[in-house]
Amino acid sequence: MFRLDADRPVEFCDGTRRRDFLHAGALSTLGLGLAQFAGLKAHGAVDPKKDVNCILLMLVGGPSQLDTWDMKPNAPIEIRGPYKSIKTNVPGIEISENFPRMAKHADKFSIVRSMYHTAAAVHDTGHQMMQTGRLFQGGVEHPHYGCVLGKLRGSKGDVPPNILLPRPIGATGGNMPHGHAAGYLGKAYDPFILNADPSDPNFRVPDMLPPDYLSSHRVDRRKNWREAIDKSVSKFETSQDARLLDSSFQQAYTLMSSAKARAAFELHREPEAVREKYGLNRFGQSCLLARRLVEAGVRFVTINMFETVFDEITWDIHGSKPFSPISCYKDLVGPMFDMAYSSLLEDLSQRGLLSNTMVIGTGEFGRTPKVNPAGGRDHWPQCWSMLAGGGPLKGGTIVGSSDEIGAMPKDRPTTPAEVAATIYKGLGIDLETELPGAQGRPIPVVDRGTEPIKELFV
Amino acid sequence: MRFSLLFCFAAALLSAAPSLSILPKDVTLATAESRQQLLAEALLDGGVQADWTRTAAWTSSNPAVAAVSLSGLITPKSDGEAVITARKDNLSASVTVRVRNAAAPFTWSFKNHVMPVLTKTGCNQGACHGALAGKNGFKLTLRGYDPELDYDALTRQSASRRVNLAEPAHSLLLLKPTFAVPHMGGLRFKTDTLEYRVIAEWIAAGAPPPAEKDPEVTGLEVYPPAAILAPNATQQLIVRAKYSDGRTEDVTNWVKFTSANEGVATVDDSGLVKLTGHGESAITLWYASKVLYARVTVPFINQTPVISDFRPRNFIDNLAAAKWKSLNLTPSKLADDSTFLRRAYLDAAGILPTADEVETFLADADPNKRSKVIDQLLNRDEYADYWAYKFSDLLLVSSRKLRTPAMWAFYNWIRDSVQTNKPWDQFARDIFTGAGSTRQNGALNYFVLHKDTIEMAENVTQAFLGQRLTCARCHNHPMEKWTQRQYYQFANLFARVGIKNGNTAADNVVFAKTSGDINHPRLLRPLEPAPLDGLPMALDSTADRRVHFANWLTKDNDYFTRNIVNRVWANFLGRGLVHPYDDVRATNPASNEELFAAVSADFVKHGYDLKHLMRTIMNSATYQLSSEANATNQSDNVFYSKYVIKRLPAEVLLDAMSQVTGVPTAFPGYPAGTRAMQLPDVRVQSQFLTSFGRPERILCDAAERSSDPSISQALHVINGDTLNKKLADAQGNIALLLKLGLSDRKVLEHLYLTAYSRPPRPEEMAQLNKLLTEAKQSKQEGLEDLVWSLLTSKEFLFNY
Repeated sequence: MFRLDADRPVEFCDGTRRRDFLHAGALSTLGLGLAQFAGLKAHGAVDPKKDVNCILLMLVGGPSQLDTWDMKPNAPIEIRGPYKSIKTNVPGIEISENFPRMAKHADKFSIVRSMYHTAAAVHDTGHQMMQTGRLFQGGVEHPHYGCVLGKLRGSKGDVPPNILLPRPIGATGGNMPHGHAAGYLGKAYDPFILNADPSDPNFRVPDMLPPDYLSSHRVDRRKNWREAIDKSVSKFETSQDARLLDSSFQQAYTLMSSAKARAAFELHREPEAVREKYGLNRFGQSCLLARRLVEAGVRFVTINMFETVFDEITWDIHGSKPFSPISCYKDLVGPMFDMAYSSLLEDLSQRGLLSNTMVIGTGEFGRTPKVNPAGGRDHWPQCWSMLAGGGPLKGGTIVGSSDEIGAMPKDRPTTPAEVAATIYKGLGIDLETELPGAQGRPIPVVDRGTEPIKELFV
Repeated sequence: MRFSLLFCFAAALLSAAPSLSILPKDVTLATAESRQQLLAEALLDGGVQADWTRTAAWTSSNPAVAAVSLSGLITPKSDGEAVITARKDNLSASVTVRVRNAAAPFTWSFKNHVMPVLTKTGCNQGACHGALAGKNGFKLTLRGYDPELDYDALTRQSASRRVNLAEPAHSLLLLKPTFAVPHMGGLRFKTDTLEYRVIAEWIAAGAPPPAEKDPEVTGLEVYPPAAILAPNATQQLIVRAKYSDGRTEDVTNWVKFTSANEGVATVDDSGLVKLTGHGESAITLWYASKVLYARVTVPFINQTPVISDFRPRNFIDNLAAAKWKSLNLTPSKLADDSTFLRRAYLDAAGILPTADEVETFLADADPNKRSKVIDQLLNRDEYADYWAYKFSDLLLVSSRKLRTPAMWAFYNWIRDSVQTNKPWDQFARDIFTGAGSTRQNGALNYFVLHKDTIEMAENVTQAFLGQRLTCARCHNHPMEKWTQRQYYQFANLFARVGIKNGNTAADNVVFAKTSGDINHPRLLRPLEPAPLDGLPMALDSTADRRVHFANWLTKDNDYFTRNIVNRVWANFLGRGLVHPYDDVRATNPASNEELFAAVSADFVKHGYDLKHLMRTIMNSATYQLSSEANATNQSDNVFYSKYVIKRLPAEVLLDAMSQVTGVPTAFPGYPAGTRAMQLPDVRVQSQFLTSFGRPERILCDAAERSSDPSISQALHVINGDTLNKKLADAQGNIALLLKLGLSDRKVLEHLYLTAYSRPPRPEEMAQLNKLLTEAKQSKQEGLEDLVWSLLTSKEFLFNY
């Protein structure tokens, strides 16, 4: 029996081979014809030479700048908190003792210590802004960077261009969208969401292969028959949702019929030592999976370190239930991040992928400079630190600074919009590029005049 | 032929002679500092309005009483009356302006003038001094919700440097925002502005504090309240505040404007609206915690008029049609019988009609057969299952916080209420006024789910009032009318609910306590419990606060009515009259307010009868329109000029697959044959339901349920066990059809009737016959593959 997982092109019954299907299908799947793609290229919106990927680590909950990457060892105890600072492999850069492995790779990332935003101090607003560059207002939901990239460049190989691991951010108290989706670009550009835990011993992408009782011949026949039946009814042609349904079926078929694409998801192919190095937990294994996916041609991977801030140990250290205590930075959250992040940087670097893969790590805000009565710290969008490196971004640099208690940016205040501009520039997307908004109203990828963080670029 | 009933929605809007008018029509300038911007609004051909304020010529009959600027701004000069006239293109209009107290001494008020300046210039916004911790040691309340506190911060803290009574111009309150000294917030206003003058003169007058006698803002007026405008036009909005002393003032300068739909219109800080697309948008206005909106409409442009045979069947249709007319939309045709039948079954009861039911209905010659089938549907058991499920979503029934017997008690109470068509006001009252064992009275489990007063307050407002209160927990709602005070008064209504253990493990006893309060976090004391905009109770009253709440909730309460009407409407029409359907706040206007008001009034008039509401909706021609667009309404997904296509909800889809294949899904712990729609719990393991967007019932939030297509859904139906096992089941319909030895033709007919509620068309029959012949090696496999293709096609997955 001819199985779909054979390591060679699959022949479809109608005579198209895998490759043909891909060429005819993959781009149009995304609503982007080849002509349009060529047009975008001609307009300079897409620069094929600058084929840079991005891994965005969403540190859900909001890490405390004062207990991570912007230590204030000389501040009073109620400000500096319980942790000491340590030296890194870059002279002059110090970080918290909770991140000893990271300290050995400080040449591979930079720290922006002057991040701030001005929206309400709830998680959801920061998620929106850090994933899209904008706060959602006037009924406009802005697209995630990866969705924009997917729209402008389409997929590379058989894998989707933009993947979200392991699950979308759930409830964080604000009842607002979190900015992981394609927004006004339309759901066709939503990310592929893994919806599974890569650290699960039985981890696999659900239903990636047909069951044993279904031959590839029948899978193929069903695909063709379904298309034939659909074609005989015209009433769905104008429905956006119906078109999306077609596109999700096409993408599913692309994924399942490519051995290479499927293999990218197979974490069990990694040596046990490598898996352990990343940390045998959801975040660690997601980082490892992200590396495999980028290798296989995925352009943008977003990893949500946590899915909620309630009843789970996260960066959200209010110090009281249902939130987390400050000690979790030493006991759990810190080490989890330290292992995964340092392994990811090291691994990407050894495989020669770091030079064309940006790795950004950020929370949605920082935390109050003063430790609260519960021994924790509360929301503080006025100042936090962001990690950035890889691709065209420098390592071993500190950008901006905060005041003596980490309460306000002192030098070079940096907004989420500037981060968006930095990511787009890093991806090789012209900042003048306009996207089609509601009723075709053009919306620039970043507001006119927004500059990237130039200090980060090599 | 009944030509008299034919409606023509083509662009033939009446051509009346153009006219000009001035807004507002009654103007009194009550103080020396009162100003009024006037608008010159032209009504042009086709009912389209145009703002001529900036191009008209303005004159005053008595400039010594009231002067008018080139742009229509009037200022008082002396007491008396003057007639202001605007002229353009042979058209003119006039209003009489009265001037009072022009020579009387005038002092700016802290609350009514200084605070609005601080708010409009952004000083007290969340990013600046309105932040919880203030900014650079200077803290104001967010958007000025506490004038006393702000007055104190300005005049008493910081050694009176902020407000310098001896040398007003040296006050930091003037030096900082004008950037005379470094200010992290940058330049907020210049020295030659009204903003500067208000603050400077207020300080010079001795910085009078806010006083009890200060007039309160009682409401807002906006001009024009609604306007039909041309594409790319601009329109200035004027906002007036009404005060408790009877005065009105032009406060346009100090209002915060927001567009609800930037695809149709944008608005700047001065209230100037720019139309950017077609359709309708609300422009919301916020001033001094009062909110209002103006509606701007840009009709769609249609090159080819379409004649419609739309026949109104009830009041819904007349009101929907009026909206279509104003937008230049023509409704689609009426859906055919098969489409109607499938739609009605899915929307009212979450099931597909059987092949027999389809055939009977199609053969019925009774002109009233649609109404008949609607009545039958509303009496079916599946109707009760479907709506019990929906209300369980609303009330968060699940085994997450409830033990299994308690969950069942709650669910059974809901289902019984649906089955007996308990009036909605009674349904709500029963939840909030009951006491005793939660096993005997399942409704009481709502309190067990919400032991936290705050959670209770927020979920109740969401479920029964369609309001999102959360922002007001920490400060006045920044874009809504709700204040933090109201929030804690409201929450305090639920502070005296007692829960103790009952006789068995899963039993609790709910009772009303006579003590206990929740503190306002800033005032550190409890406030008199009060419903939103409702009468407060005395703090020391020992009456059951829940009863006070329930009485307010269910009596003449627009929020209560509109919330449920909108939810039911959205179930049938695919989109709430207010969208999203659980966000019925004052600044989120309905797409058709007249229609929403009429349906709500009708619902109340009929005793909150849900079946009556559903019957009215389902019998309207609007509900029965085809989903196929005509030349005019392709881009309309808001005004119901065509039926909005929607994907079947996860549970309905799974049940429909079970129904067509004749193989129910087995749910562990539930009797064989239980449909997904009959589950009381959302924690029953099912990959299918999870991947197709079943809600988790953790938060009362419409966004918990998703119907977005995804790759994982496609992978699951292609490769997953759910559908594949149903197809291959030896006890299923496919096996049965083969055993019966029917002809291919009969089999295909049966499948189409079951899955699509219609017989196959001849060309479909020919095509499918051919496909089946291709698969003749194994008839079983061929038929399985065919049914798979039918059940994964759009015609099956969507309700259209």
